[in-house]
Amino acid sequence: MTGSKSRWADDEADKEARRREKEEKKRAKLAKQKRQEEEAQKTAEAATARAQEEISRPAKRRRISNDDSNENDVKHIKSDSGSAPLLRFPTTGWSPSRNVSNFESLNHIEEGSYGWVSRAKETATGEIVALKKMKMDTSSGQGFPVDALREIQILSSAKHRHIVDLREVVVGDKPDDVYLVMQFLEHDLKTLQEEMAEPFLPSEIKTLLLQIVAGVEFLHDNWILHRDLKTSNILMNNRGEIKLADFGMARQFSDPPPANLTQLVVTLWYRAPELLFGTSKYGTAIDMWSIGCIFGELVRKEPLLQGRNEVDQLRRIFLLVGTPDEDSWPGFRRLAGASALKLMKNSPGAGKGSLRAQFPLLTSAGASLLAALLSLNPDDRPSAQEVLSDPYFLEAPRPKTTAMFPTFPSKAGGEKRRRVASPNAPQRGQAPKINMEELSGIFSRKEGEEVGAGFALRMA
Amino acid sequence: MAPEPSQNSVLVNPLATPDQLSTSGSQLDGVPASLETSVIHIGARLTQIAGVLLRLPQDLIAHAVVIFTRFWLGPESGSLCEYSIKHVCAAALYLTTKPSAHPKAPRSIINVLAYIEALGTVFFVQDDMDKNDPESYYVSEGTYFTERAQLTKVESIILRVLGFNTHVALPYTICINYLQTLGVFDDDSGSELAKRAWAHLNSALLSPQLLFVTHQPPCLATAAIYLAAKEVGVKLPSEQWWEVFDTDREELGFLVVAMLSMEGFLREEKQNWAGKRMPYTLDVVEQEIKALTDNS
Repeated sequence: MTGSKSRWADDEADKEARRREKEEKKRAKLAKQKRQEEEAQKTAEAATARAQEEISRPAKRRRISNDDSNENDVKHIKSDSGSAPLLRFPTTGWSPSRNVSNFESLNHIEEGSYGWVSRAKETATGEIVALKKMKMDTSSGQGFPVDALREIQILSSAKHRHIVDLREVVVGDKPDDVYLVMQFLEHDLKTLQEEMAEPFLPSEIKTLLLQIVAGVEFLHDNWILHRDLKTSNILMNNRGEIKLADFGMARQFSDPPPANLTQLVVTLWYRAPELLFGTSKYGTAIDMWSIGCIFGELVRKEPLLQGRNEVDQLRRIFLLVGTPDEDSWPGFRRLAGASALKLMKNSPGAGKGSLRAQFPLLTSAGASLLAALLSLNPDDRPSAQEVLSDPYFLEAPRPKTTAMFPTFPSKAGGEKRRRVASPNAPQRGQAPKINMEELSGIFSRKEGEEVGAGFALRMA
Repeated sequence: MAPEPSQNSVLVNPLATPDQLSTSGSQLDGVPASLETSVIHIGARLTQIAGVLLRLPQDLIAHAVVIFTRFWLGPESGSLCEYSIKHVCAAALYLTTKPSAHPKAPRSIINVLAYIEALGTVFFVQDDMDKNDPESYYVSEGTYFTERAQLTKVESIILRVLGFNTHVALPYTICINYLQTLGVFDDDSGSELAKRAWAHLNSALLSPQLLFVTHQPPCLATAAIYLAAKEVGVKLPSEQWWEVFDTDREELGFLVVAMLSMEGFLREEKQNWAGKRMPYTLDVVEQEIKALTDNS
């Protein structure tokens, strides 16, 4: 048997032989390569010597100031001439995707618009991860979906403490089986709020908001728009730490904005008015609007603007924050969808809006931050960086440290809130009689117990 | 909340490991190393030419060439006996442009590649490009559908081989930054120097030493500037200025020699392939392997 590549010779022995043959070839190649490398090194050395002749040796050594603050990220190495430390970033590489069979699925978490998420365990290490199966639409003939491609590229480039960590991408046996392996977090803010009896405390809201905005600031600094910020995409672990997730809508942007931006982004309830009006040029302000909606939702413990459709969404926005005019939002009439708005001018909903009245418990600093985030004019919304230094976060109550956060049962982790069914108050009517037989029996088991030294052993 | 370093920065490229450089799927399938180098070079050229015809900016083309090159490295990589360079080139271009600001339809890519294939060679001068015989590069609807199916299939294989890591950092932008830092644009010769350095980077992209997957962008940019300055006759600081750009003398020397060797390599390649069919498809590669093993 010579391990020929016949398609009929597919039995186990043949496979084994082929495998061995391949390995032997590989070994031989490695040895040969080593010899070649040695030779190449010799030639390279000679080449360097030649190059060095060309380079006139410097009379003075150049000194480079050392940035000590980056010491942790970057290694300084001494160059061969020993004159200056060179910066060396840790290099990365690539390797083929592993198979999904390395993971054992534990339970289903949710089905988002971009894929199915489940909790899984890596068999080798026992580590718990979230496994997201990408949705593939192969019928379009467009190959690997561009959203999925962007999500992978953006998540692998955006490493930050408030962005969910993409560990690797694994594949199944079918070409359509692609899974993202991400760190598992116990909660998402939407499910958590639905399960909670009381809304978050003001100090907790500040901590949550600061973390969300810090994550968004990092994204915007790196020219990434999230384009789908909402409570169900914001994950929290049991230590009160927030991580942004679901980058299925995210993409890189530029200044001026790229020409091929799509308008159909952001879940309706969190969608900024300029998007509802059909703008084709938008920027970081759309994420800031979503943050405003999330802020309001955290205070109220329910979504702020629950529109049934695009028009209803706009109506609710205007009821909350008032109607736009040429002064407050110059140029909004030029947007595609705004021409039909004339009708609304004299409608009873027109006016200043009811934002302050709807949030009576918010301090004035908090209310003005919320109003700023929910400015109709995108240019009036603060940037993520400005939000982080807002006076709202400095006034009492100060943000609660994450270590002090309460813990909650994790729905995604398959945990349930233990409900102690406390009895109801007695109903009107006749008082129930006490069953005398039962009453006489309440200590009856006691007689069967043996009394020992310090503890009682009950005989069954 | 201090910013953490981004893993995929513009300065850092994922590089091939020594293991990936020493073994390849093609070699395990019995492709002679010299032929492998030559065919991958032709594939890289094919990608570059197709990118120009697709009116893509050079950084996107270079991105596609790097993805194309990475696909063939390492023991679990693509093998020249299994995938034709034409399909991998098409898929690399498609994959790279898809999420960018310049997406290209599969039909455009397939048409452009058919056109280049009809030219008969990738070692051409500008005049050959004007040759126009539409019959020779017409893609019928049936061919288009089979080619598109191939394209999407190879696309998913590339992604699997690369572990979905499509990040590429390129030396072009920082090359200009470095030239500005060196203050060469105060002089008229500055733009000539920039063009020359840029040209060296473009040829290094196709180098048989696979410089773009073995060296970091700062080193490539520095070496291109060093070599271009010698050629154009621009005087750079007499100090070891390359150290400012994080390149040590040894690496600089190696890169300069590698860039200088491109001319000879290209002349040889052009000669070797003169009058032969280009190895765009698997059957030509098989013929070449047979010819080489028969001779030895």
